[in-house]
Amino acid sequence: MPDSVAGTPEPIARLIEALHKLPGVGPKSAQRLAYHILRISEEEAFALARAISDVKSRIVFCSLCLNITETDPCAMCSDTRRASSMICVVEQPLDVLAIERAGSYHGRYHVLHGVLNPMDGIGPEDLHIRELLRRVGEGNVAEVIMATNPSLEGEATAMFVQRLVGPLGVKVTRLARGLPSGADLEYTDDVTLARALEGRQEL
Amino acid sequence: MADRSRVYKTEGVILRRRNLGEADSIFTVFSPREGKFDAIAKGVRKARSRMRGHLEPLTRSSLLLARGRSLDVFTQAETIAPYRAVRDDLQCGAVAIYCAELVDRFTIERAENPGLYELLLALLDALEGGAPSHVARYFELHVLALTGYELQLDACAVCGGRILAGDVFLSPSAGGFVCTGCRAKAGGGRIISLRAVKVLRYAHSTDIGSMASLRIDEDLGHELEGVMAEVVRHFLEHEPRTRPYLEQVSALASRVSAPHSEGVELPQGS
Repeated sequence: MPDSVAGTPEPIARLIEALHKLPGVGPKSAQRLAYHILRISEEEAFALARAISDVKSRIVFCSLCLNITETDPCAMCSDTRRASSMICVVEQPLDVLAIERAGSYHGRYHVLHGVLNPMDGIGPEDLHIRELLRRVGEGNVAEVIMATNPSLEGEATAMFVQRLVGPLGVKVTRLARGLPSGADLEYTDDVTLARALEGRQEL
Repeated sequence: MADRSRVYKTEGVILRRRNLGEADSIFTVFSPREGKFDAIAKGVRKARSRMRGHLEPLTRSSLLLARGRSLDVFTQAETIAPYRAVRDDLQCGAVAIYCAELVDRFTIERAENPGLYELLLALLDALEGGAPSHVARYFELHVLALTGYELQLDACAVCGGRILAGDVFLSPSAGGFVCTGCRAKAGGGRIISLRAVKVLRYAHSTDIGSMASLRIDEDLGHELEGVMAEVVRHFLEHEPRTRPYLEQVSALASRVSAPHSEGVELPQGS
Protein backbone atom coordinates (compact mmCIF):
# COMPACT_ATOMS: atom_id res chain seq x y z
CA MET A 1 0.00 0.00 0.00
CA PRO A 2 1.47 3.38 -0.98
CA ASP A 3 2.04 5.86 1.80
CA SER A 4 -0.88 8.20 1.77
CA VAL A 5 0.71 11.59 1.98
CA ALA A 6 -1.18 13.94 4.26
CA GLY A 7 -3.00 16.52 2.19
CA THR A 8 -3.53 14.28 -0.87
CA PRO A 9 -7.14 14.87 -1.92
CA GLU A 10 -9.28 11.78 -1.35
CA PRO A 11 -10.09 11.05 -5.06
CA ILE A 12 -6.39 11.06 -5.94
CA ALA A 13 -5.50 8.88 -2.98
CA ARG A 14 -8.20 6.46 -4.09
CA LEU A 15 -6.87 6.38 -7.66
CA ILE A 16 -3.30 5.82 -6.42
CA GLU A 17 -4.48 2.95 -4.29
CA ALA A 18 -6.39 1.36 -7.19
CA LEU A 19 -3.44 1.68 -9.59
CA HIS A 20 -1.07 0.28 -6.99
CA LYS A 21 -3.07 -2.94 -7.00
CA LEU A 22 -2.17 -3.57 -10.67
CA PRO A 23 0.64 -6.05 -11.31
CA GLY A 24 4.08 -4.47 -11.65
CA VAL A 25 2.94 -1.06 -10.40
CA GLY A 26 4.82 0.11 -7.34
CA PRO A 27 3.85 2.97 -5.02
CA LYS A 28 5.87 5.59 -6.93
CA SER A 29 4.60 4.48 -10.36
CA ALA A 30 1.06 4.54 -8.97
CA GLN A 31 1.52 8.15 -7.88
CA ARG A 32 3.06 9.14 -11.21
CA LEU A 33 0.22 7.51 -13.16
CA ALA A 34 -2.42 9.12 -10.96
CA TYR A 35 -0.96 12.60 -11.40
CA HIS A 36 -0.59 11.95 -15.12
CA ILE A 37 -4.27 11.07 -15.37
CA LEU A 38 -5.05 14.28 -13.50
CA ARG A 39 -3.17 16.27 -16.15
CA ILE A 40 -4.58 14.68 -19.33
CA SER A 41 -7.68 16.00 -21.04
CA GLU A 42 -11.09 15.07 -19.72
CA GLU A 43 -11.82 13.25 -22.97
CA GLU A 44 -8.76 11.01 -22.69
CA ALA A 45 -9.42 10.26 -19.04
CA PHE A 46 -13.03 9.28 -19.66
CA ALA A 47 -11.99 7.12 -22.61
CA LEU A 48 -9.71 5.21 -20.24
CA ALA A 49 -12.46 4.86 -17.66
CA ARG A 50 -14.91 3.64 -20.34
CA ALA A 51 -12.37 1.15 -21.70
CA ILE A 52 -11.98 -0.32 -18.22
CA SER A 53 -15.70 -0.52 -17.60
CA ASP A 54 -16.36 -2.03 -21.08
CA VAL A 55 -13.79 -4.74 -20.48
CA LYS A 56 -15.68 -5.76 -17.40
CA SER A 57 -19.22 -5.40 -18.75
CA ARG A 58 -18.88 -6.52 -22.38
CA ILE A 59 -16.26 -9.27 -22.32
CA VAL A 60 -17.53 -12.78 -21.68
CA PHE A 61 -16.10 -16.27 -21.99
CA CYS A 62 -17.01 -18.14 -25.16
CA SER A 63 -19.21 -21.05 -24.13
CA LEU A 64 -17.33 -23.36 -26.52
CA CYS A 65 -13.64 -22.52 -26.38
CA LEU A 66 -13.61 -20.44 -23.16
CA ASN A 67 -11.63 -17.72 -24.89
CA ILE A 68 -12.49 -14.13 -24.03
CA THR A 69 -14.95 -12.63 -26.48
CA GLU A 70 -17.59 -9.99 -26.99
CA THR A 71 -20.02 -12.36 -28.65
CA ASP A 72 -20.85 -15.89 -27.61
CA PRO A 73 -19.85 -18.12 -29.40
CA CYS A 74 -16.69 -16.20 -30.28
CA ALA A 75 -15.69 -15.15 -33.80
CA MET A 76 -13.29 -18.09 -34.15
CA CYS A 77 -15.80 -20.69 -33.00
CA SER A 78 -18.46 -19.34 -35.41
CA ASP A 79 -16.05 -19.00 -38.36
CA THR A 80 -17.07 -21.86 -40.68
CA ARG A 81 -13.80 -21.57 -42.62
CA ARG A 82 -11.88 -22.78 -39.59
CA ALA A 83 -11.60 -26.57 -39.31
CA SER A 84 -13.84 -27.77 -36.50
CA SER A 85 -12.10 -31.14 -36.46
CA MET A 86 -8.99 -29.70 -34.86
CA ILE A 87 -8.78 -28.23 -31.36
CA CYS A 88 -5.65 -26.48 -30.21
CA VAL A 89 -5.49 -26.49 -26.39
CA VAL A 90 -3.69 -23.52 -24.82
CA GLU A 91 -3.10 -22.24 -21.30
CA GLN A 92 -4.18 -18.60 -21.66
CA PRO A 93 -6.12 -16.33 -24.05
CA LEU A 94 -2.82 -14.60 -24.89
CA ASP A 95 -1.53 -17.92 -26.26
CA VAL A 96 -4.37 -17.88 -28.82
CA LEU A 97 -3.11 -14.51 -30.02
CA ALA A 98 0.46 -15.84 -30.22
CA ILE A 99 -0.61 -18.82 -32.36
CA GLU A 100 -2.81 -16.60 -34.53
CA ARG A 101 0.15 -14.28 -35.09
CA ALA A 102 2.13 -17.24 -36.42
CA GLY A 103 -0.66 -17.57 -39.00
CA SER A 104 -0.29 -21.25 -39.80
CA TYR A 105 -3.13 -22.74 -37.77
CA HIS A 106 -6.68 -22.70 -39.06
CA GLY A 107 -8.55 -24.85 -36.58
CA ARG A 108 -10.42 -24.14 -33.34
CA TYR A 109 -9.05 -23.42 -29.87
CA HIS A 110 -9.69 -24.37 -26.29
CA VAL A 111 -8.43 -22.19 -23.45
CA LEU A 112 -7.75 -24.01 -20.17
CA HIS A 113 -7.22 -20.76 -18.22
CA GLY A 114 -4.27 -22.14 -16.33
CA VAL A 115 -2.03 -25.11 -16.06
CA LEU A 116 -1.72 -27.94 -13.54
CA ASN A 117 0.45 -26.60 -10.77
CA PRO A 118 0.28 -29.02 -7.84
CA MET A 119 2.84 -27.00 -5.84
CA ASP A 120 0.40 -24.08 -5.79
CA GLY A 121 -2.58 -26.36 -5.28
CA ILE A 122 -3.96 -25.91 -8.81
CA GLY A 123 -5.50 -29.20 -9.87
CA PRO A 124 -7.46 -30.40 -12.92
CA GLU A 125 -10.76 -29.23 -11.43
CA ASP A 126 -9.45 -25.63 -11.54
CA LEU A 127 -8.89 -25.81 -15.30
CA HIS A 128 -11.49 -26.04 -18.07
CA ILE A 129 -10.72 -29.67 -18.86
CA ARG A 130 -14.29 -30.87 -18.40
CA GLU A 131 -15.50 -28.51 -21.14
CA LEU A 132 -12.81 -29.85 -23.46
CA LEU A 133 -13.84 -33.44 -22.78
CA ARG A 134 -17.44 -32.49 -23.51
CA ARG A 135 -16.47 -30.91 -26.83
CA VAL A 136 -14.39 -33.91 -27.83
CA GLY A 137 -17.11 -36.29 -26.63
CA GLU A 138 -19.66 -34.65 -28.94
CA GLY A 139 -17.76 -36.05 -31.93
CA ASN A 140 -16.50 -34.24 -35.07
CA VAL A 141 -13.06 -33.81 -33.50
CA ALA A 142 -10.23 -35.70 -35.13
CA GLU A 143 -7.22 -34.10 -33.46
CA VAL A 144 -6.45 -32.32 -30.22
CA ILE A 145 -3.21 -30.34 -30.30
CA MET A 146 -1.68 -29.77 -26.88
CA ALA A 147 -0.06 -26.34 -27.04
CA THR A 148 0.68 -25.83 -23.36
CA ASN A 149 4.10 -24.40 -22.47
CA PRO A 150 7.04 -26.82 -22.55
CA SER A 151 7.55 -26.43 -18.79
CA LEU A 152 7.17 -29.09 -16.10
CA GLU A 153 3.62 -27.89 -15.44
CA GLY A 154 2.73 -27.57 -19.13
CA GLU A 155 4.04 -31.06 -19.90
CA ALA A 156 2.16 -32.53 -16.97
CA THR A 157 -1.04 -30.82 -18.15
CA ALA A 158 -0.54 -32.13 -21.68
CA MET A 159 -0.01 -35.69 -20.44
CA PHE A 160 -2.97 -35.43 -18.07
CA VAL A 161 -5.31 -34.26 -20.84
CA GLN A 162 -3.90 -36.89 -23.19
CA ARG A 163 -4.79 -39.63 -20.69
CA LEU A 164 -8.38 -38.38 -20.63
CA VAL A 165 -8.87 -37.56 -24.31
CA GLY A 166 -6.88 -40.50 -25.72
CA PRO A 167 -9.46 -43.14 -24.66
CA LEU A 168 -12.12 -41.23 -26.63
CA GLY A 169 -10.41 -42.32 -29.83
CA VAL A 170 -9.09 -38.90 -30.82
CA LYS A 171 -5.54 -38.24 -31.97
CA VAL A 172 -3.70 -36.15 -29.39
CA THR A 173 -0.59 -34.33 -30.59
CA ARG A 174 1.94 -32.12 -28.87
CA LEU A 175 3.70 -29.07 -30.29
CA ALA A 176 7.26 -29.90 -31.34
CA ARG A 177 9.97 -28.82 -28.96
CA GLY A 178 13.43 -27.73 -29.92
CA LEU A 179 15.60 -24.71 -30.45
CA PRO A 180 13.99 -21.27 -30.70
CA SER A 181 15.17 -19.23 -33.68
CA GLY A 182 18.19 -17.15 -32.76
CA ALA A 183 19.17 -19.56 -29.99
CA ASP A 184 22.68 -20.39 -28.85
CA LEU A 185 23.49 -24.10 -28.97
CA GLU A 186 26.12 -23.69 -26.28
CA TYR A 187 23.60 -22.49 -23.72
CA THR A 188 20.80 -24.86 -24.62
CA ASP A 189 19.70 -27.25 -21.90
CA ASP A 190 20.01 -31.00 -22.36
CA VAL A 191 16.29 -31.72 -22.62
CA THR A 192 15.74 -29.15 -25.37
CA LEU A 193 18.79 -30.32 -27.28
CA ALA A 194 17.82 -33.98 -27.00
CA ARG A 195 14.32 -33.17 -28.27
CA ALA A 196 15.68 -31.02 -31.06
CA LEU A 197 17.82 -33.95 -32.18
CA GLU A 198 14.87 -36.33 -32.04
CA GLY A 199 12.77 -33.96 -34.09
CA ARG A 200 15.44 -33.24 -36.71
CA GLN A 201 14.30 -33.01 -40.32
CA GLU A 202 15.94 -33.62 -43.64
CA LEU A 203 17.15 -30.43 -45.28
CA MET B 1 27.45 -20.22 6.33
CA ALA B 2 29.79 -20.22 3.36
CA ASP B 3 32.15 -17.34 2.74
CA ARG B 4 30.55 -13.99 1.94
CA SER B 5 32.14 -13.36 -1.46
CA ARG B 6 29.85 -11.69 -3.94
CA VAL B 7 29.30 -14.70 -6.15
CA TYR B 8 29.24 -18.33 -5.14
CA LYS B 9 28.90 -21.68 -6.81
CA THR B 10 26.68 -24.52 -5.73
CA GLU B 11 24.74 -27.34 -7.21
CA GLY B 12 21.15 -27.98 -6.41
CA VAL B 13 17.80 -29.44 -7.33
CA ILE B 14 15.11 -26.94 -8.31
CA LEU B 15 12.11 -27.57 -6.07
CA ARG B 16 9.67 -24.99 -7.34
CA ARG B 17 9.17 -21.85 -9.39
CA ARG B 18 7.11 -18.73 -8.84
CA ASN B 19 6.76 -16.01 -11.42
CA LEU B 20 7.75 -12.49 -10.58
CA GLY B 21 6.82 -9.45 -12.62
CA GLU B 22 7.01 -9.48 -16.41
CA ALA B 23 9.78 -11.98 -17.15
CA ASP B 24 11.49 -12.97 -13.89
CA SER B 25 10.97 -16.02 -11.70
CA ILE B 26 11.88 -16.95 -8.16
CA PHE B 27 13.16 -20.49 -7.82
CA THR B 28 13.40 -22.51 -4.63
CA VAL B 29 16.60 -24.53 -4.75
CA PHE B 30 17.73 -27.32 -2.47
CA SER B 31 21.49 -27.70 -2.32
CA PRO B 32 23.79 -29.90 -0.24
CA ARG B 33 25.73 -27.10 1.49
CA GLU B 34 23.46 -24.06 1.33
CA GLY B 35 20.32 -25.98 2.18
CA LYS B 36 17.06 -24.61 0.83
CA PHE B 37 17.04 -21.09 -0.53
CA ASP B 38 15.14 -18.81 -2.91
CA ALA B 39 16.86 -16.95 -5.72
CA ILE B 40 15.75 -14.78 -8.63
CA ALA B 41 16.42 -15.52 -12.29
CA LYS B 42 16.07 -12.31 -14.30
CA GLY B 43 14.42 -12.49 -17.70
CA VAL B 44 14.12 -16.26 -17.46
CA ARG B 45 10.62 -16.34 -18.96
CA LYS B 46 11.77 -14.84 -22.24
CA ALA B 47 12.07 -17.38 -25.05
CA ARG B 48 15.73 -16.60 -25.56
CA SER B 49 16.77 -16.87 -21.92
CA ARG B 50 19.95 -18.92 -21.62
CA MET B 51 19.03 -20.25 -18.20
CA ARG B 52 15.42 -21.23 -18.70
CA GLY B 53 15.81 -24.93 -19.41
CA HIS B 54 18.48 -25.32 -16.75
CA LEU B 55 16.17 -24.08 -14.03
CA GLU B 56 13.07 -26.19 -14.65
CA PRO B 57 11.69 -27.72 -11.44
CA LEU B 58 13.12 -31.20 -10.70
CA THR B 59 16.32 -30.44 -12.61
CA ARG B 60 19.70 -30.94 -10.92
CA SER B 61 21.88 -28.04 -11.98
CA SER B 62 25.21 -26.47 -11.34
CA LEU B 63 24.58 -22.86 -10.35
CA LEU B 64 26.44 -19.60 -10.04
CA LEU B 65 24.72 -17.02 -7.88
CA ALA B 66 25.36 -13.43 -6.93
CA ARG B 67 24.44 -12.40 -3.42
CA GLY B 68 21.64 -9.87 -3.43
CA ARG B 69 20.23 -7.65 -0.74
CA SER B 70 17.23 -9.82 -0.03
CA LEU B 71 17.39 -12.61 -2.60
CA ASP B 72 20.37 -13.98 -4.49
CA VAL B 73 20.37 -13.77 -8.28
CA PHE B 74 21.22 -16.60 -10.66
CA THR B 75 24.02 -15.60 -13.02
CA GLN B 76 24.69 -18.98 -14.65
CA ALA B 77 23.04 -22.36 -14.65
CA GLU B 78 23.93 -25.63 -16.29
CA THR B 79 22.06 -28.91 -16.10
CA ILE B 80 23.78 -31.82 -14.37
CA ALA B 81 20.81 -34.19 -14.64
CA PRO B 82 17.57 -33.22 -16.42
CA TYR B 83 15.59 -36.25 -15.13
CA ARG B 84 13.80 -36.37 -18.41
CA ALA B 85 12.17 -39.76 -17.89
CA VAL B 86 10.72 -38.46 -14.60
CA ARG B 87 9.07 -35.46 -16.25
CA ASP B 88 7.95 -37.48 -19.27
CA ASP B 89 5.90 -39.84 -17.12
CA LEU B 90 2.80 -38.43 -15.47
CA GLN B 91 2.96 -40.66 -12.39
CA CYS B 92 6.73 -40.51 -11.86
CA GLY B 93 6.52 -36.75 -12.23
CA ALA B 94 3.71 -36.55 -9.67
CA VAL B 95 5.70 -38.63 -7.15
CA ALA B 96 8.78 -36.45 -7.70
CA ILE B 97 6.77 -33.22 -7.31
CA TYR B 98 5.26 -34.57 -4.09
CA CYS B 99 8.69 -35.51 -2.71
CA ALA B 100 10.09 -32.11 -3.71
CA GLU B 101 7.28 -30.51 -1.71
CA LEU B 102 8.16 -32.64 1.32
CA VAL B 103 11.76 -31.39 1.12
CA ASP B 104 10.47 -27.83 0.81
CA ARG B 105 8.09 -28.19 3.76
CA PHE B 106 10.32 -30.11 6.13
CA THR B 107 13.33 -27.81 5.80
CA ILE B 108 14.07 -24.26 6.84
CA GLU B 109 16.02 -21.77 4.73
CA ARG B 110 19.81 -22.02 4.57
CA ALA B 111 20.05 -25.04 6.86
CA GLU B 112 22.65 -27.45 5.55
CA ASN B 113 21.40 -31.04 5.22
CA PRO B 114 23.64 -33.02 2.83
CA GLY B 115 22.00 -36.30 3.83
CA LEU B 116 18.61 -35.03 2.69
CA TYR B 117 20.14 -33.85 -0.58
CA GLU B 118 21.56 -37.32 -1.15
CA LEU B 119 18.13 -38.77 -0.41
CA LEU B 120 16.46 -36.47 -2.95
CA LEU B 121 19.01 -37.39 -5.62
CA ALA B 122 18.57 -41.08 -4.80
CA LEU B 123 14.82 -40.72 -5.25
CA LEU B 124 15.12 -38.88 -8.57
CA ASP B 125 17.71 -41.36 -9.83
CA ALA B 126 15.47 -44.26 -8.81
CA LEU B 127 12.42 -42.76 -10.54
CA GLU B 128 14.53 -41.98 -13.61
CA GLY B 129 15.51 -45.65 -13.65
CA GLY B 130 11.84 -46.70 -13.65
CA ALA B 131 11.29 -47.34 -9.92
CA PRO B 132 7.66 -47.90 -8.90
CA SER B 133 5.80 -45.15 -7.04
CA HIS B 134 6.07 -46.93 -3.66
CA VAL B 135 9.62 -45.56 -3.38
CA ALA B 136 7.76 -42.48 -2.11
CA ARG B 137 7.15 -44.43 1.15
CA TYR B 138 10.91 -44.88 1.53
CA PHE B 139 11.34 -41.19 0.88
CA GLU B 140 8.70 -40.18 3.42
CA LEU B 141 10.27 -42.34 6.17
CA HIS B 142 13.75 -41.02 5.52
CA VAL B 143 12.73 -37.36 5.11
CA LEU B 144 11.23 -37.62 8.58
CA ALA B 145 14.39 -39.27 9.96
CA LEU B 146 16.68 -36.66 8.39
CA THR B 147 14.67 -33.72 9.69
CA GLY B 148 14.39 -34.91 13.27
CA TYR B 149 11.20 -36.97 13.22
CA GLU B 150 12.56 -40.50 12.96
CA LEU B 151 9.86 -43.06 13.62
CA GLN B 152 10.43 -45.74 16.23
CA LEU B 153 9.77 -48.94 14.31
CA ASP B 154 11.79 -51.59 16.18
CA ALA B 155 10.17 -51.38 19.57
CA CYS B 156 7.10 -49.84 21.15
CA ALA B 157 7.47 -46.05 21.01
CA VAL B 158 5.86 -45.71 24.45
CA CYS B 159 7.22 -48.51 26.68
CA GLY B 160 10.29 -49.39 24.61
CA GLY B 161 9.43 -53.07 24.84
CA ARG B 162 9.52 -55.44 21.91
CA ILE B 163 6.26 -55.76 20.06
CA LEU B 164 5.70 -59.47 20.29
CA ALA B 165 2.21 -60.66 19.69
CA GLY B 166 -1.11 -59.03 19.09
CA ASP B 167 -1.94 -56.06 16.96
CA VAL B 168 0.58 -53.38 16.02
CA PHE B 169 -0.57 -49.79 15.97
CA LEU B 170 1.05 -46.79 14.39
CA SER B 171 0.72 -43.63 16.39
CA PRO B 172 2.23 -40.50 14.82
CA SER B 173 1.93 -38.59 18.10
CA ALA B 174 3.86 -41.30 19.98
CA GLY B 175 6.37 -41.32 17.14
CA GLY B 176 6.15 -44.86 15.84
CA PHE B 177 4.72 -48.32 16.43
CA VAL B 178 2.99 -48.95 19.74
CA CYS B 179 1.99 -52.24 21.35
CA THR B 180 -1.57 -53.14 22.34
CA GLY B 181 -0.88 -52.32 25.99
CA CYS B 182 0.38 -48.82 25.26
CA ARG B 183 -2.18 -47.88 22.67
CA ALA B 184 -4.34 -45.91 25.08
CA LYS B 185 -1.31 -44.09 26.50
CA ALA B 186 -0.24 -43.17 22.97
CA GLY B 187 -3.61 -41.51 22.44
CA GLY B 188 -4.87 -44.02 19.89
CA GLY B 189 -3.23 -45.10 16.68
CA ARG B 190 -4.32 -46.99 13.64
CA ILE B 191 -3.98 -50.73 13.40
CA ILE B 192 -1.47 -51.77 10.83
CA SER B 193 -1.07 -55.08 9.05
CA LEU B 194 1.91 -57.31 9.66
CA ARG B 195 2.91 -57.01 6.02
CA ALA B 196 2.95 -53.22 6.26
CA VAL B 197 5.01 -53.43 9.46
CA LYS B 198 7.57 -55.54 7.63
CA VAL B 199 7.75 -53.21 4.63
CA LEU B 200 8.18 -50.12 6.81
CA ARG B 201 10.93 -51.78 8.88
CA TYR B 202 12.61 -52.92 5.69
CA ALA B 203 12.35 -49.45 4.16
CA HIS B 204 13.82 -48.00 7.32
CA SER B 205 16.96 -50.10 7.16
CA THR B 206 17.59 -50.65 3.46
CA ASP B 207 18.55 -48.48 0.48
CA ILE B 208 16.18 -47.08 -2.13
CA GLY B 209 17.26 -49.60 -4.77
CA SER B 210 16.18 -52.57 -2.64
CA MET B 211 12.94 -50.74 -1.82
CA ALA B 212 12.30 -50.23 -5.54
CA SER B 213 12.72 -53.92 -6.30
CA LEU B 214 10.23 -54.90 -3.59
CA ARG B 215 6.98 -56.23 -5.03
CA ILE B 216 4.03 -54.60 -3.33
CA ASP B 217 0.48 -55.49 -4.32
CA GLU B 218 -2.26 -52.89 -4.70
CA ASP B 219 -3.89 -53.44 -1.28
CA LEU B 220 -0.62 -53.22 0.60
CA GLY B 221 0.37 -50.21 -1.51
CA HIS B 222 -2.84 -48.42 -0.52
CA GLU B 223 -2.40 -49.28 3.14
CA LEU B 224 1.17 -48.00 3.22
CA GLU B 225 0.18 -44.85 1.35
CA GLY B 226 -2.61 -44.13 3.82
CA VAL B 227 -0.45 -44.85 6.86
CA MET B 228 2.40 -42.63 5.72
CA ALA B 229 0.03 -39.87 4.56
CA GLU B 230 -1.29 -39.73 8.11
CA VAL B 231 2.20 -39.59 9.57
CA VAL B 232 3.29 -36.83 7.18
CA ARG B 233 0.12 -34.87 7.89
CA HIS B 234 0.76 -35.17 11.63
CA PHE B 235 4.30 -33.76 11.51
CA LEU B 236 3.57 -31.17 8.85
CA GLU B 237 0.36 -30.16 10.63
CA HIS B 238 -1.44 -29.98 7.29
CA GLU B 239 -1.89 -31.90 4.07
CA PRO B 240 0.86 -31.42 1.48
CA ARG B 241 -0.51 -29.33 -1.39
CA THR B 242 0.61 -31.79 -4.05
CA ARG B 243 -1.17 -34.72 -2.37
CA PRO B 244 -4.54 -34.38 -4.17
CA TYR B 245 -2.72 -34.20 -7.50
CA LEU B 246 -0.74 -37.33 -6.71
CA GLU B 247 -3.98 -39.13 -5.87
CA GLN B 248 -5.71 -37.93 -9.04
CA VAL B 249 -2.82 -39.07 -11.20
CA SER B 250 -2.79 -42.48 -9.48
CA ALA B 251 -6.55 -42.78 -9.99
CA LEU B 252 -6.09 -41.93 -13.65
CA ALA B 253 -3.34 -44.54 -14.01
CA SER B 254 -5.46 -47.28 -12.47
CA ARG B 255 -8.41 -46.22 -14.62
CA VAL B 256 -6.36 -46.47 -17.80
CA SER B 257 -5.40 -50.02 -16.83
CA ALA B 258 -9.10 -50.78 -16.16
CA PRO B 259 -11.09 -48.33 -18.29
CA HIS B 260 -14.61 -47.33 -17.26
CA SER B 261 -17.45 -46.55 -19.55
CA GLU B 262 -17.70 -42.99 -18.19
CA GLY B 263 -14.28 -42.18 -19.53
CA VAL B 264 -14.87 -38.44 -19.83
CA GLU B 265 -15.03 -37.60 -16.12
CA LEU B 266 -12.15 -36.10 -14.19
CA PRO B 267 -10.67 -38.51 -11.67
CA GLN B 268 -11.36 -37.69 -8.03
CA GLY B 269 -8.61 -38.00 -5.45
CA SER B 270 -9.62 -40.27 -2.57
